[in-house]
Amino acid sequence: MQSLTRACLGSAALFLNVALAACTRDGPTPPIGILPTSCPGLNLGPLPAAVTMSPTTPAAVRILGNGRDTVRYQAEVAVHGNLAYTTSWGVRQVAGNKVSIWDVSGDAPVLVDSLIVIGATTTGDVAVSDDGSLLVVATERSGGSIAIYDLADPRKPQLLSRFNNEDTDPGVHTAEIGRVNGKLYGFLSIDPGGTGGARLVIVDLSTPSAPREVYNKLAGNPYVHDTFVRDGLLFVALWNDGMQIWDIGACGQGASPEAPRVLGTVQTVGGQVHNVWWYHDPNGSKRYAFVGQEGPGTVPTSSTGDIHVVDISDPLAPKEVAFYHVNGAGTHNFSVDEAHGVLYAAYYNAGVRALDIRGDLGKCDASQRDSVAGSNLFRCDLRLTGRELATGLTDAGRQVYVWGVDYLNGNVYASDMLNGIWKLGAAK
Amino acid sequence: MIQAVPMTTRADPTATRSALNEGYLTQPLFMGHGAWGPGRVVATLNLEGWTLQRGELTTGAFGEGYVDRRHPHSYIHELLGGIEGARSGVSASFFAGRGFVPFGSDDPMARPFEKYPVNHHLAQVLERIVAIGAVRRGPVILELSTFNGDEPVSPSTWPAWGRFGDSWSARLTALPFRGGELSASVADVASPEVRHGGGLDQWKRSVVARFDRMTTDTWRYALAEWAHTDERIQGQTVTSLTSLLAEGAYCRAGAVVGARIEQTDRPEEEQTLDPFRTPRPPIDLSNLGISRWTTATFMVSAPPIMYRVFSGRAFVEVARISVAPGDPPGLFNAQLRYGSSHMWMLSAGVRLRAGSMHGRMGRYGVANPADSLPSTGTHMHDMESHQMASSQRMTSSPPLFTPGNRCSL
Repeated sequence: MQSLTRACLGSAALFLNVALAACTRDGPTPPIGILPTSCPGLNLGPLPAAVTMSPTTPAAVRILGNGRDTVRYQAEVAVHGNLAYTTSWGVRQVAGNKVSIWDVSGDAPVLVDSLIVIGATTTGDVAVSDDGSLLVVATERSGGSIAIYDLADPRKPQLLSRFNNEDTDPGVHTAEIGRVNGKLYGFLSIDPGGTGGARLVIVDLSTPSAPREVYNKLAGNPYVHDTFVRDGLLFVALWNDGMQIWDIGACGQGASPEAPRVLGTVQTVGGQVHNVWWYHDPNGSKRYAFVGQEGPGTVPTSSTGDIHVVDISDPLAPKEVAFYHVNGAGTHNFSVDEAHGVLYAAYYNAGVRALDIRGDLGKCDASQRDSVAGSNLFRCDLRLTGRELATGLTDAGRQVYVWGVDYLNGNVYASDMLNGIWKLGAAK
Repeated sequence: MIQAVPMTTRADPTATRSALNEGYLTQPLFMGHGAWGPGRVVATLNLEGWTLQRGELTTGAFGEGYVDRRHPHSYIHELLGGIEGARSGVSASFFAGRGFVPFGSDDPMARPFEKYPVNHHLAQVLERIVAIGAVRRGPVILELSTFNGDEPVSPSTWPAWGRFGDSWSARLTALPFRGGELSASVADVASPEVRHGGGLDQWKRSVVARFDRMTTDTWRYALAEWAHTDERIQGQTVTSLTSLLAEGAYCRAGAVVGARIEQTDRPEEEQTLDPFRTPRPPIDLSNLGISRWTTATFMVSAPPIMYRVFSGRAFVEVARISVAPGDPPGLFNAQLRYGSSHMWMLSAGVRLRAGSMHGRMGRYGVANPADSLPSTGTHMHDMESHQMASSQRMTSSPPLFTPGNRCSL
């Protein structure tokens, strides 16, 4: 109760509405939550609980099996049911124009089929719709596109449509899909061209055989690499322009995917904002967004870039409060086991990292903080606050370069550019 | 001056993992320069955008989205205006326009070999909107410049005007003896590969020693250079690329023989369906490692056939190329990429020309050692006969390209 009282006072000092019932024993109990006045329709849930942990040596996530592919470089992974879909990147022995379909019901993923996407050099991103009916693949070069497949038979996806236009040129780097007010949309991050800048394109996928562009905007400096859509908020990774939060329906003020409204922007330390995950804690708190920074690297030996934790209590002024750093390696894509509060991060040459992200991540002792030169920003170091749970694939016995991870039903699936797909146990 | 070089090249193997034969009309140029009192103008129109759109087969070459092909240059290769003046033994010039940044060595187009070295993008910075101030006192020349960091996107694309001034360079040159030249230069180039900025910056350094001496019937030329580029982001070096190059040529009675040896680091980038292209701009800050190219090139050129202002000089060049993983090696694997770590290139063609080139491509005004201002006691160039120098007082046309001289390239 003490910490809750302190939090109430602190929240009042900000411009958050914390229901009074949280601070009193009397009266009926209305919903307790952070209700940003800037976005009336948004309830960020209760304040995160205080969690105290001590740094320990991270455990090794158990490797269950590997589905090998050394013909192409693997890219992203999406798991649905007992199947995993992995995409491919660049040119190895052949071009990355393939989506591999793996049966992951056993320990070792087994390749059961594949899709070849004509004209693609890279099929960099893949996503399965929330109802499991569609598979969406982003393609780069040769104009850029998304390929939309019917998953009526998940082992034999059928091409429904291929969407491309002048706005998807020269390549669709990622294509996230999400539902807003019941309608399915694709959020396409477009590579910059020779003279044209990067852009974000939103596509109405409610008729997947006939996708329709509903919005596009120059975005990113110089890149926009990824987005994250949930509950009517769109988080946009704008590289050196930071992470931006767009209202696409969450606030109830008329914004939509067709007419988004920018709420706020945060410049995370170092920029190079690559990807985002808006985390919903098991206690209902929705205060933190996790930002992946993609710095320079050399495939397959080095990478750089930290995980940044952003407090979005005020969506108009999100603020970085914590970070996670791995020496000699940088992060890429995330997947979160929200029921247990574990974030899994692909970490390229450092394999997979698992972090305990439950509770309040912005509170720490002075000895656990990092100050940012030239600013009054203090950030908690998640390693020093004992949040580093486990590492994966550091004991694989061969060099790895992990692009993406996907957590599902107690297992973590990692796409490794060099070796194919790995099935891992969950972090304990 | 008008120039064109019809030629063929056989590369065996190259990025296709097989031998490839191609023919081109390369280096098609219209070049002119003029002077009105202290005013100067330099212009070079390059038509490679029409004749060389796919790039010129040059195994090991890289830059501007091309790999194992040399990219076509901008239509407006040079267009600068300037002024020159001298007082009390000190001469000075100021040039502005699109052209070469004072950094590194002369453009390969103005050197004896038709094929560009691999180090073109480490040793020269070109086709920028640049403002150059130069002062010369006796045998010492200092150049300072500011320019836009973005490299050309295509032959017809203008630079990003708003980026003018985001990059700078400086070059110090000494002329210790007749025909001899030593220079050291630095350049800070902001995000050359990403036009909108935010890409890797380049911190470049170069040291060049050059010798050039011509008589009425002979010509001796040598150049040695070290060039180094650190690719950086937020002040941190990400990749270091080094080049060492030495080349020389000798001409007698119009026949030229030459040799070049270089070892140059090349950053490896994502491959596309076209093995001769890389994504441009790159879509992130990473690379696939470094490859190290060692290339030995030999050339022989027949005496030119000359008619009035027209000349034709046949040439043959043979290059032996070796490639190995650099530091870090990354994913580079020569066997996978080329089918071999040792390659050949054989080229033959004719350099057709009417008029004379303006020589030292990459130096303007008093930065050109051949410049006539002022008469400081340092030999303005190395024409032992002086038959041209005394009469023409050239402002920017060294004897290397003297019309009528059979050793002129």
